Amino acid sequence: MARYIGQRVLVALVLIWLVSTLVFMVLHLVPGDPAELLLASGNTAPDPQAVAQLRTEMGLDRPLMVQYASYLAGIVHGDFGVSLRDGTPVAQQLMLRLPRTLELVVAATLIASVLGIPLGTLAAIRGGGLADRLVSLLASLALSTPVFVVGTGLILLFAQKLGWISAGGYVPFAQDPLRHLALLLMPAGTIALSLWAIVVRMTRASVLEVLERDFVRTARAKGLGRRRILRRHVVRNAMVPVITVIGLQMGTLLGSTVLIEYVFNWPGLSGYLVSAVEARDYPEVVGIVLTISIVFVLINLIVDIAYAVLDPRVKLAA
Amino acid sequence: MIRARHQLYIWLCLAAVLIAVIAAAPILPLDDVRAMDIPHRFAGPSAAHWMGLDNYGRDVFARLVWGGRASLAVAFGSAVLAGIAGTILGLLGGYFRGVVEVVTVRVSEVILFLPPLLLALLVITILGAGVSTLILAITILYIPNYTRVVYAATLQTASQDFVVAQEAMGTHPLTTLWRTILPNVMPPLLVQFSLTVAGAILLESGLSFLGLGVVPPTPSWGLMIRSARSALDVAPMLLVWPSVALAGTVLLLNVICDRLQDVLSPRTAAVGGAAWLRRGARGAARRRASMMPAGKVPAGKLVPEELTGDPARDLGGDLLAVEELSVAITATGRPLTQGISLRVAPGETLALVGESGSGKTLTGLASTGLLPNGLGVAEGRALFQTPGGVTDLAALDEDGMRPLRGAQISMVFQDAAAALNPVHRVGDQLAEVIAAHRPMSRPRIEAEVVELLRKVGIPDPERRARSYPFELSGGQRQRAMIAMAVANAPRLLIADEPTTALDPTIQAQILQLLEFLKQENPDMGVIFVTHNLALVHEIADTVCVMYAGEVVEQGPVAEVFAAPRHPYTAALLASVPEAGQGRLQAIPGTVPQPGRMPEGCRFAPRCDFAAEACRAPQALIEIEGGAGPDGRPRRTRCIRWREAT
Ligand code: SF4
Repeated sequence: MARYIGQRVLVALVLIWLVSTLVFMVLHLVPGDPAELLLASGNTAPDPQAVAQLRTEMGLDRPLMVQYASYLAGIVHGDFGVSLRDGTPVAQQLMLRLPRTLELVVAATLIASVLGIPLGTLAAIRGGGLADRLVSLLASLALSTPVFVVGTGLILLFAQKLGWISAGGYVPFAQDPLRHLALLLMPAGTIALSLWAIVVRMTRASVLEVLERDFVRTARAKGLGRRRILRRHVVRNAMVPVITVIGLQMGTLLGSTVLIEYVFNWPGLSGYLVSAVEARDYPEVVGIVLTISIVFVLINLIVDIAYAVLDPRVKLAA
Repeated sequence: MIRARHQLYIWLCLAAVLIAVIAAAPILPLDDVRAMDIPHRFAGPSAAHWMGLDNYGRDVFARLVWGGRASLAVAFGSAVLAGIAGTILGLLGGYFRGVVEVVTVRVSEVILFLPPLLLALLVITILGAGVSTLILAITILYIPNYTRVVYAATLQTASQDFVVAQEAMGTHPLTTLWRTILPNVMPPLLVQFSLTVAGAILLESGLSFLGLGVVPPTPSWGLMIRSARSALDVAPMLLVWPSVALAGTVLLLNVICDRLQDVLSPRTAAVGGAAWLRRGARGAARRRASMMPAGKVPAGKLVPEELTGDPARDLGGDLLAVEELSVAITATGRPLTQGISLRVAPGETLALVGESGSGKTLTGLASTGLLPNGLGVAEGRALFQTPGGVTDLAALDEDGMRPLRGAQISMVFQDAAAALNPVHRVGDQLAEVIAAHRPMSRPRIEAEVVELLRKVGIPDPERRARSYPFELSGGQRQRAMIAMAVANAPRLLIADEPTTALDPTIQAQILQLLEFLKQENPDMGVIFVTHNLALVHEIADTVCVMYAGEVVEQGPVAEVFAAPRHPYTAALLASVPEAGQGRLQAIPGTVPQPGRMPEGCRFAPRCDFAAEACRAPQALIEIEGGAGPDGRPRRTRCIRWREAT
């Protein structure tokens, strides 16, 4: 196990390096110069002197390899430069807002799994029946409706029409735990919806597949009870591909947080990205994109480990 | 398949209508999307404005149609561009391999490790919002998906003979690849295309919603939802219309994508789940009832609840009496085995022999209620002597069967690697069967598990109990499987080809183990299902030869081997090489398929002795001999057995 984890950590580090390099390349290989683009407004050419000054400020006049090296060194030290808007270190905002985004992601994943796995199993067992069709229909709808539409619709329904909850916002947990959780519910639930749909579909397909496997017949031949067979032999084995799919969906989920934090005024990292992009605040955008990408890689690392715990054969293949 | 195709056409037509309306926006008599009518802002639906006016007094319907144009233009534009770029990269990478592959395929895959929306935002930061930026960003995002598909197909095709041959003839390899690969990758590309369009619409609308996509005043669904947010309390319908348009379009595309996959690669997924899982399902009993011809209810059938059985009846000292058992496909009623009758006494080993497809395994599974989905017992009984009385196994439902399975009747399956659950420790799987029938404290069960593993000859049983099945050798896995079967000292053990998957030395060891276990538990009856006649001689007392779903000959092993009374048995025996370990394959011809059975004797097409009399259906006739030490009669299903053997 230790060897397997070590190997996955190594892969994760390489991925983080690759992603960082990709972001660097996007910044520097596109036609035009960040400084120039930053100062350009509409079609008027920016003042060359101002561009040159900004270039020096941002270190863009150094050789590309030097820039790359200091960029990587910055990432290692958690130094993402200072914001162009207000001159504060980007890392400071990252540390403040990242936990809030992570909270959304974790809550959404929990909601999606807790509601998705049992329903997917039920749909598989009642294959072709009413419950199956209903769940499949719901999943199709959930997959086709964009998160921001669902979010805005929920605000319309629960905040505007029914007045049960405020339209959004955030209260620190330490200040008012109940209100904190109440405010978490809508954004997390919204993000969870599409993941739920995918978990349901995958669980259903996976359970149907496992039901056909020989070891399920063995379990019946042993005279085990229905529940035990279902829990220990069917669902347990069916979880392996479901976990993989949850990992694959994390990219989309993190993307959804951008929209949902915006819709619900959740002061996380992703919503902050929108204002950074609007202001074209380079260091902030790069810092946030990198942080979220690293989170993405780390979540996949966790998924890989969960995978090995669920299926002991994986460790051997390492 | 046909139905899926028709459904696909219907959805495609719907999509075509939608696209036509949106594309025709400039020539439709729509209001000017920019004409404002501030005094009438938020006006409700009217004849002139079907969906009313928005916050600037602009016609919502016109904006909806024009907004669709922006979405679809971005979506189709980026899907096509990503398709072209991805196909080229995949083609190059798959053909040249090496460095080119790294530069094309691997590099593009790095994109997949950035959350999609973030990469788009990065590009927008650099290039500013706008339709062309959107197309570029979404194109980049979807390139790797296409690259993967084409790369895989290229690898497959490039190695094929005709590509190599054309290369030798001077055709440029890339030309050949282009021509041969394109037809090959078309189906997955189509699926990928519809996925990309749906995904791109979602991304475009999301970015426009954030105010980072389509620039106002150009209408777009995402922008319409954005502006509706500020007027939720005044005009909620302004949110509903674009939301429905957006979700409806994506749903339509998703449905097309699903149907496309159905048509291109029909899934054989078993719809219906597993009947045995449903509480109260009558299992075998229900399937049986629906298939039973009217008026042919077997006399004295025992109801499942009477597990204690009918003490008045007994099986004359036998353990199992299968009577006229037939297994059929539930849906069509087509029989797979017919009129199987056999008996097993305590301590007796019966070998059920036949080629694959003869129905020997089905007979074993039917006796334990473990028939695969879609098959059922159509007729007959499998009477089993429990300590409390006689019960009909073929009529029991899942709940009635459960206390018997693993306790009184056990099974050993052919492929132990598949029959053991890969994610649980061997010891836990063994403990399970003990706990299910003899609840005890955990330490006592664990001690028994180790004892059992030792008994079946697994070295270092304490450690092996904690191993996973994949950590055991093939022979050890089968030993563990057998340990599970005998854990509760069953009265009847059904072993379905337990040695077929193993190599000869291990085979012999497993047979020895079974022999040893029989000595340990001398009252245990065994049904040994095999296609290997050489094994029969070694371990069985009686034999039952099956052919094409019927019993063709049965009797004591020694007699049947010495003087077979059916041409099929004779041919089988003749095909066994002297050294043993022979397989049944030397008989010319093949077993007839169910549904294409000959009218008369089923062996007639392959029989050297076939004559006029063989054209009539053959009955199993009792012949002299048999009644040996254990009193088993000899039977053959050959009318000419005197002449033929
Ligand atoms: S009944 Fe006729 S065809 Fe059939 S096995 Fe006997 S001799 Fe051959």
